[in-house]
Amino acid sequence: MLSRIAQELFWLGRNVARAEHTARMLDGVFQASLQGRPDDPAGVRLGWGSLLAIMGAQADGRPVRRDEVLNRLTLTRDEPASVISCVSRAREGARTMRDVISAEMWEAVNTTHLALSAGDLEGRMQMGPYSVFQYVKERSALFWGLTSRTMLRDEARAFLVAGGRIESADMVLRMLRVAMPSPGEQAEGTDGVRDGQALALLQAVGGFQAFRRAVPAPPNAGPVARFLLYERAYPDSVAASVDAVHGALVDVDAAPRSSEPVLRLSRLAADLEFRGRAAAEDGNLAEASSLVQSELALIDADIAERYFAGAGAAGGWDRYLVA
Amino acid sequence: MSDLVTADTAAYRPPSGYFDEVFGADGVPRAHAVSLAAEIAKLGPELLTAAGHRRDAIFVQQGITFDATGEDGPVKDRPFPLDLVPRILPAAEWDHIERGLAQRIRALNRFIDDVYHEREIVRAGIVPWRLIVSRSHFARAAHGVRPPGGVYCHVAGCDLVRDADGSWKVLEDNVRTPSGISYVLENRVAMTRLVPQFFQHHRVRPVDHYPQLLLAGLRSVAPSAEDEATVVVWTPGPMNSAYFEHAFLARQMGVELVEASDLVVRDDVLYMRTTAGLRRVHAVYRRLDDDFVDPLEFRPDSLLGVPGLVRAYRAGTVAIANALGTGVADDKAVYHYVPEMIRFYLGEEPILDNVKTYIMADDAQREAALARRAELVFKPTGESGGKGVFIGPATPREALDGLADVIRSQPEKWIAQEVVNLSTVPTAMPDGSLAPRHVDLRPFAVFGEQIRIVPGGLTRVALKEGSMIVNSSQGGGSKDTWVLEDDAGRGAPGASDTQLHEVVPTQMPGLRYGGDWQGQQQQQQQTRPAIGRRERRGVGRGR
Repeated sequence: MLSRIAQELFWLGRNVARAEHTARMLDGVFQASLQGRPDDPAGVRLGWGSLLAIMGAQADGRPVRRDEVLNRLTLTRDEPASVISCVSRAREGARTMRDVISAEMWEAVNTTHLALSAGDLEGRMQMGPYSVFQYVKERSALFWGLTSRTMLRDEARAFLVAGGRIESADMVLRMLRVAMPSPGEQAEGTDGVRDGQALALLQAVGGFQAFRRAVPAPPNAGPVARFLLYERAYPDSVAASVDAVHGALVDVDAAPRSSEPVLRLSRLAADLEFRGRAAAEDGNLAEASSLVQSELALIDADIAERYFAGAGAAGGWDRYLVA
Repeated sequence: MSDLVTADTAAYRPPSGYFDEVFGADGVPRAHAVSLAAEIAKLGPELLTAAGHRRDAIFVQQGITFDATGEDGPVKDRPFPLDLVPRILPAAEWDHIERGLAQRIRALNRFIDDVYHEREIVRAGIVPWRLIVSRSHFARAAHGVRPPGGVYCHVAGCDLVRDADGSWKVLEDNVRTPSGISYVLENRVAMTRLVPQFFQHHRVRPVDHYPQLLLAGLRSVAPSAEDEATVVVWTPGPMNSAYFEHAFLARQMGVELVEASDLVVRDDVLYMRTTAGLRRVHAVYRRLDDDFVDPLEFRPDSLLGVPGLVRAYRAGTVAIANALGTGVADDKAVYHYVPEMIRFYLGEEPILDNVKTYIMADDAQREAALARRAELVFKPTGESGGKGVFIGPATPREALDGLADVIRSQPEKWIAQEVVNLSTVPTAMPDGSLAPRHVDLRPFAVFGEQIRIVPGGLTRVALKEGSMIVNSSQGGGSKDTWVLEDDAGRGAPGASDTQLHEVVPTQMPGLRYGGDWQGQQQQQQQTRPAIGRRERRGVGRGR
């Protein structure tokens, strides 16, 4: 397929996944902050300042206010990381590929975009951000559901899925890196309240019930981070996302055995498997997250080079970093 | 009157002769509730009503419903009535309640142990043995069995009320299967979604760690060898009115929700039937009464029970929470003696008082109480859920005369209590205005290695004007209950003063934004990237 289309699909997947993750994350932190969790310096931190950091936005060292972060990361069109920006980029992407994706998928994205642009969104954010986040979550679920029901399982879908999953892995890693305590200050709370930020982290990725069913340990920082990194049975864990990206690329690559991104993904998947088994002894999850994240950045660049460079467009990717 | 309070809160008048928890007698909000009152006023009646409609829609969608008896007979799947005005308790007040409850639960636990072992309190002449053995929840099967850790009442939910002078009193002890904790948690989530602005100027203590406390408590008493103890929640089934709560707790703890048919006892060990064969169960959080747990020991006609469970329990292979026989402490006649138990077992003065109670089995107390029958409340000892209660001032004279005959014929089945003028909290009416409604409070405690109490609890509210019947099964509602952090020396919530450099890992890569095809083409025409690009990868950071 055309490199240009492949790249558009890849980014359509990323933008939909990013919008959903951002909405979940904001919702999780919003609820946790209302409940007045004590800020334990040794516990998990997922506050408003952290959110800006996760999304690569800056606060210039100023104290960060809740309403500012909520509005900036949800409604601000000038903020490329905001939910509304992600959705409108997804919609523009989908519009150029109406022949590739199914009509229902296009409608799902288009309706989401229109609904967020119309009406008094700021008013709704003021009254209760939950309704806005819930909408974004539902629409994203609809999009992926329609993808699995109505889109041919071909190359195009593989790039769409690869984009969505690599974004998922990246977002979870970002949250983990910002929220997790640094090595050496990991505190295992005993009264359940201090660990509440780990609960907030789980809520922010939508993995609370899955964690409960999969892990017998209490939701302290360590078990939560291990779960989000290594638990293959949980679909939004980093390990599961890496597997999914790998699977998608193996399906489309003409020569997967000599494909650099595929080889890197295989190594990363094996590495995650190994680390997951050893994680009980090896406590340094922050370091592991950081390594996995830089490896993902390399994979991302390799994907761009191998599949999208054919049209000569992949160059200078760091132009797209947040300046 | 404070100028913060406008609109509907200005029209609110606390009733005289009662303690209003938000407004003082002069109509001015109490110090800890000033900003809450201001937020309510700011919202106004219309938006409050609108939030109420959203709440009902969400509750029905999520299945947070309760079966109740209404004016038109039984109502199924009614959205659980959550009033949007929270009840708010300052830290110091909660501290007092918490210490009082922990003390009471320790004493009750000692009492249950004593009843089934040495009976010291009987020999000391404090509680009559005849009274204890005549209780319907007295379990002979529990004799001489001491559960792991000596804990009987793993889960307790004592009902507290606040009298006209603002003092807290214990109304009854629920140590069998107290319900309501699921509504505490769901109410809080709903409130943060429906009226987040109410939370803005308060630091409210979280409640959502309760399932964690419960699971840890159950694990700590489970007789398990090396691996993790298997815990289950045992429900009588989906027809039970509290089934929502049973499923909620199992889901939140990540354990199986079992019914009797899922359980089986082999060689005095309890198992559950799984797709991989029988699996050992170490601890059961049962949500049904003793009478039904084992047809071999209790009611032989019980279809809900597991034959042989009591044998397994006696053999010490399984922990049952609450322990068998705990119901003996959950009795309105035994309740009368709790302050004495605290003195006897703990050598302490009770921190929380009882409501003044008269034992009808005592001739003198009975006749004195019956003479004042128009002023007192009469309760059957073995009932729960507000069933069979006669409130003297609200009952016709003929009915009270009939009641007197019933009580004289079966005195051990009744108690009388002084009427408590339950405190009021402003409550939203269908038109969005506020009116005072009477409330009680049920905090929830978990007793594992130690006693842990979730801040707040379930505030039940009588939705009818003047009514003091708060039971959910009789159409009562509930309120989110806030225990405030002790905010001395803390900044206002809502702002995080965290400096970014303290939290941001140094190597966080910037976010990529792709898909801008036009921009990329222009970019490509301007500069074809250098071959050395790969070397720069991984260090590409936004800042």
